[in-house]
Amino acid sequence: MPDLNPSISQLIRLSKMLEELLIFTRGGLILWSSCQALGGAVLKGSPIDALIRSCLLEERSADASFSQDNYGLKWTFHNELGLVFVAVYQRILHLLYIDDLLAAVHKEFSQIYDPKRTDYYDFTDIFRQLHLEAEARAEVMKKFKQPIVSRPSQTLSHNKTAPKVRGGENTAGGNNKKGGSGKDEDSDGGSATFEGKENSQPCVVVKRKENGGPKDNNGAFDVNKLQNLRNKKKTVPTENRAKKTKPDIKKKVNRVWDDKPSNKKLDFTDPADERGDEVTDHVLVTQGESMMDKDENVSSDSEDEEEAQDAPKKKGWFSMFQSIAGNSVLEKSDLQPALKGLKDRLMTKNVVCRGNCRKLCESVAASLEGKKLGSFTRISSTVQTAMEEALLRILTPRRSIDILRDVQSAKERGRPYVIVFVGVNGVGKSTNLAKVAYWLLQHNLSVTLAACDTFRSGAVEQLRTHARRLQIPIFEKGYEKDPAVVAKEAIQDASRNKSDVVLVDTAGRMQDNEPLMRALSKLINLNNPDLVLFVGEALVGNDAVDQLTKFNQKLADLSSVPTARLIDGILLTKFDTIDDKVGAALSMVYISGAPVMFVGCGQSYTDLKKLNVKSIVKTLLK
Amino acid sequence: MEEWIQQAQVWAGQAESWVRQQPPEQIYVAAAVVAITILVLIAASCLKSSKPNTIVLSGLNGSGKTTLFYQLRDGSSHQGTVTSMEENSDTFVLHSEQERKGKVKPVHVVDVPGHARLKTKLDEFLPRAAGVIFVVDAQDFCRACKQLQTLSSCRYLYDILTKATVVKKRVPVLIFCNKTDKVTAHSKEFIRKQLEKEINKLRESRNALSSADISDEVKLGVPGEAFNFSQCQNKVTVSEGAGLTGNVSAIEEFIREYVKA
Repeated sequence: MPDLNPSISQLIRLSKMLEELLIFTRGGLILWSSCQALGGAVLKGSPIDALIRSCLLEERSADASFSQDNYGLKWTFHNELGLVFVAVYQRILHLLYIDDLLAAVHKEFSQIYDPKRTDYYDFTDIFRQLHLEAEARAEVMKKFKQPIVSRPSQTLSHNKTAPKVRGGENTAGGNNKKGGSGKDEDSDGGSATFEGKENSQPCVVVKRKENGGPKDNNGAFDVNKLQNLRNKKKTVPTENRAKKTKPDIKKKVNRVWDDKPSNKKLDFTDPADERGDEVTDHVLVTQGESMMDKDENVSSDSEDEEEAQDAPKKKGWFSMFQSIAGNSVLEKSDLQPALKGLKDRLMTKNVVCRGNCRKLCESVAASLEGKKLGSFTRISSTVQTAMEEALLRILTPRRSIDILRDVQSAKERGRPYVIVFVGVNGVGKSTNLAKVAYWLLQHNLSVTLAACDTFRSGAVEQLRTHARRLQIPIFEKGYEKDPAVVAKEAIQDASRNKSDVVLVDTAGRMQDNEPLMRALSKLINLNNPDLVLFVGEALVGNDAVDQLTKFNQKLADLSSVPTARLIDGILLTKFDTIDDKVGAALSMVYISGAPVMFVGCGQSYTDLKKLNVKSIVKTLLK
Repeated sequence: MEEWIQQAQVWAGQAESWVRQQPPEQIYVAAAVVAITILVLIAASCLKSSKPNTIVLSGLNGSGKTTLFYQLRDGSSHQGTVTSMEENSDTFVLHSEQERKGKVKPVHVVDVPGHARLKTKLDEFLPRAAGVIFVVDAQDFCRACKQLQTLSSCRYLYDILTKATVVKKRVPVLIFCNKTDKVTAHSKEFIRKQLEKEINKLRESRNALSSADISDEVKLGVPGEAFNFSQCQNKVTVSEGAGLTGNVSAIEEFIREYVKA
């Protein structure tokens, strides 16, 4: 057949660019692989596993693409059948037809899928066909698009292949801007599409529906609010600096929280002489058991009968019967109101909305779209369950948070376990460091404090006071010394004295302050601690995202070794000051991927808790 | 609304008078039949739920559980597997027994994902488990156990062995050393000794800590003695095989032992 040759050569050319297209079930079985079917090079490394581990399981499945080494990956789901379609290509090549191809493959494969079958060799021919068609379409589009490229804000809303175009889709603008600055553009659609190709993935479509315009009364992405945000960022640094001088102006009133016994003794000043020298006879402070060891009883019956009030179903009686009968398939439009309600609820709980709330909701939407509703379930309850699972997954730690066992392992290796506390100004590093020291002491471990905050006046004295009350050694070198060197010497000293744990206190620093971040990076790289604990307060709002990303970024950029040490854990402070606005925990964990190891809930030594994931999820969705 | 209430009252009155008209014996017989049916249903459901027949495949991610699942079911692992995002649950007759004559009881096998974020899924299935197969990657074992920060195999196994449901119901555990077809795989004796040693360390560190235990945990072994798998109240055995080549006879024997045909 004479015309087969050109298509084969074309196919060979194409297959070089698209490395692999993989279809697998959510349970993990590969159903069809283009590498195995068409013959091709096996992928280097295992990008698919990396994709699953760092993206899909982290609830970032609404992202447009993922890249690993020099592979770029794109994916789409079929939620009803539980299938995932992943395309892998060379990252440097911008392949325009990937989304298109994924959508076509999605459609075709769902028709031939059968849960009992495990081999789909006949799909190979269909795939070849689809691939050629998609490539052809992309060529046509490229030629067609040339004159339009000069208007970057508009994009092609017409598309021959994807039938679910919603009117007036604006996607290219989202490429460059985050957090829309234009009034009429949906530029925080966020997902980077390749040169305006309509993204067949669900994520883009979501935002369009919501942002009707700047005067929307949900006001989620109000321009004014965003401008306020920008102004707020500028005033935060001055506020933080002012905070330091405030405490001595406030009057000391005996504050009684709900279920804590009142402290009779208010004056903790030790009877020292005027020069502040140590008085030798001190009784070790014991204030009882640290709350880390108390078990929190979570009520297992979490039947909350609250309905989501804002689910306006304009479809009428028939849809109600349909949902009872259990035949309706979940559409994007159905999920919108329920998701919006959930998102608003999350926002009232202080979850950062600027990017992550939305990404999370999109990820949940992506996992629900196309699913059949079970009988007698409403859409809002399905969405709620899915969101609960997603939140549970995010907050479940990926690595072990049992410090005690890690300390034991380090003990066996004969060196002390080093924890470094980092964070911005005024979040409670020194206070919580003392609480952690108290808790470790209760578990019969020997602790040393290292005063590497050589900048702030009173920092070393503060730690000295704590050390005196807890009767533990402190390594200090006074002020104006290089913190990295002080830390190094402290660790050497501790290992000489056979101390189990070294707690290193650092000065608070703003995430934008370049020289201070460099100094921090130097400290961490020089000493290679076992745990880098980011201390963040639960009161923080949108700044949490900024803080964590910038800290991680600076630590990664300024490190001299290829595998940089990033933030390993989070310590959430001032948890007692928020009633149920616990969203900061979620934002921080979602952004950084680090688990919350401790929660500080008060100012005495025993006020340190573990994060109770189930109760947080319950509170967030109440 | 008023009309509805009135209508309902009229109907109730009519039903009452109809019932009064029937001879009393019929009513007693009807009531007895209903009561007996209810009792039978309750008894049947009680009996059914007391015999779990679920086998749970667990282990770290990358140890080969999904491969084993498909080997047991279909006799081959098809085109390969990736990290599972959801559990694989199916009731089937074991592949090697499909040719056997006579009635073979199907088993319900659940392959729980091993990724740390999905660890909560294990708690859903453990209460109904008749047996737990803990899959260990024999090739990668040393590295997996020594990692300070990740959830290592040893810790995972320790968590399973100390769950209250597992101990109370004496759920048997099979530690399956997978990937023995690879050259660098360790032997099952080595793995067994390593696991016992690590669990001993974990157990001791837990005892050395404060007396405030996590309520779900049970103390393992005999205090004062080195930990040994024979000290567990539930039966723990170690065996080896390879998922990719189909060498899964040890698993099949274990399943057959605990889920009667």
